[in-house]
Amino acid sequence: MTIKGLAKKIFLIEILKGMALTLKMMFTHAVTRQYPEEKREPFPGFRGLHALVRKEDGTARCVGCGLCAAICPSQCIHVYTSEGVSHEKIVDRYEIEVSRCVYCAFCVEACPFRAVVLTDHFEYAAYTRDDLYMGKEKLLSNWDRFMAGKKGNEYFEKFWHPLSSDFSASGNQAIFKKINSEG
Amino acid sequence: MSGRELKTKELTLSLGPQHPATHGVLRLVLDLDGETVVKCTPHVGYLHRGTEKLAEHRTYMQVIPLTDRLDYISSMANNVGYCVAVERLFGIEPPERAKYIRTIMSEMTRISSHILWLGTHALDIGAMTVFLYSFREREWLLDLFEMTCGARLTVSYGRIGGVRNDVTQEFLDRLYKFTEEFPGRIEEYETLIDQNRIWLQRTKGIGILSAEEAINWGLTGPTLRGSGVPYDVRKYAPYDAYDKVEFEVPIGKNGDVYDRYRCRMEEMRQSNRIIKQCIEKMPKGPILTPDAPKFTLPPKDKVLADMESMIHQFVLITKGPMTAPEGEIYSAVEAPKGELGFYIISDGTGRPYRMRLRSPSFVHASVLPRLCEGSLIADVVANIGTIDIVLGECDR
Repeated sequence: MTIKGLAKKIFLIEILKGMALTLKMMFTHAVTRQYPEEKREPFPGFRGLHALVRKEDGTARCVGCGLCAAICPSQCIHVYTSEGVSHEKIVDRYEIEVSRCVYCAFCVEACPFRAVVLTDHFEYAAYTRDDLYMGKEKLLSNWDRFMAGKKGNEYFEKFWHPLSSDFSASGNQAIFKKINSEG
Repeated sequence: MSGRELKTKELTLSLGPQHPATHGVLRLVLDLDGETVVKCTPHVGYLHRGTEKLAEHRTYMQVIPLTDRLDYISSMANNVGYCVAVERLFGIEPPERAKYIRTIMSEMTRISSHILWLGTHALDIGAMTVFLYSFREREWLLDLFEMTCGARLTVSYGRIGGVRNDVTQEFLDRLYKFTEEFPGRIEEYETLIDQNRIWLQRTKGIGILSAEEAINWGLTGPTLRGSGVPYDVRKYAPYDAYDKVEFEVPIGKNGDVYDRYRCRMEEMRQSNRIIKQCIEKMPKGPILTPDAPKFTLPPKDKVLADMESMIHQFVLITKGPMTAPEGEIYSAVEAPKGELGFYIISDGTGRPYRMRLRSPSFVHASVLPRLCEGSLIADVVANIGTIDIVLGECDR
């Protein structure tokens, strides 16, 4: 063993280096968040609790085609429809078993009418399972609470895919821009 | 004591399925002679969910969320692996931009998976500080995932013929900043453990596998490369944009726990390099192929305006791609853990007739008895960590 190696071994050089790094970190900002007190807004397009879109006239936009129920990989959406007096389709029940959902947002992708949406709300723990079996009224009220107004429309403009623009090149796509790396 | 024999007998110890060092629900039944492991029997299957069987009842698109849950800390790589397999089976060519986005995502996943591995592996062996530092960078990557696709772990981002949605300028800028800062962060991890004498004593010369043995056991990924075999699916059968970027495949020499650790550290640097090149080279263009209307969902703005699109929408969602040709394929990608293979048989209906998964974790779990038998019980934990298994993928 060389003298240098011996010195390293005796004076615990590598351990001191590690501890110096730890000490240095005491003077930097904390990266942790004190969660329940300190919250971070989810990014736009976060896939959280479900909502049914409410139209301006107060009724649900859903027409009951059942595509969301068909594509749902965990089969947690149930749509029950019946025939109205003038032969229109009436959505009697629209239910989502929230605790079985896998949050893939395929239902949003399948819906041709912009009628179902995943909001950015993610704190919905409940004491009973019944609270997580959401019917039509509950889902509509989710829309009022979390997505109503501008936010909902913006969501559909940005995160309702695929669009025609996804199948062709468009001018405002994100590409690498040379950042000034001087200084 | 003269004249009386001291009686000893072997002790059977059950390690797991709740033991935190088994990284999930692996159970090892260890026969111990003092502190030496005489026999090691892995019991797998505690996390069996029947993914392969479930896939037979779902359309090709509906399988994507199932693949998220295989190796749940690198779901993006699983999505890509499945989509590449289906695309090869049906002869779909994703557009250039989608390929670059997928490559970026795969490499981000590789980094986040290796970071988690590094943190937990070091924590198991006794170096707690690295765990805290590595989670700082993992959070950064998970935030970037959330920004792109709205979910942090179970992303469901890949689509047959492309990706779910386009990346934003903010995402690219933030990711580029990450690639510039990340090499410095790797050096921080290395400051903490690379030369640390306790770390060296716990890893050097432990769990040695020769190159020949590693190949015979069917190991892949960093576990194989640590033994000095430069096998990497990204080099041997390039998919996505891997043939357009430059990177090296780091290999080890001795095939012990320390070399596999070095391999993964170097791999993170190479992944970082790939991401940087991909961002710089990424062209503008479509993110979903326009050539396969029978497999990709039609554009939303046309569904209610165009009869054909509407029919496609309903048929694709309720029945799957009805005109899918018959055939079978084995297609592999380099997931963070190793070679992730999908064997898919199509019988011409909208659902896979059979989907078989070749998951690296299952193969790696089979080498545990070889690594553990004859070693000390304290090294069992190091050996479990070094093969980097995730039980979601192992039990499927």
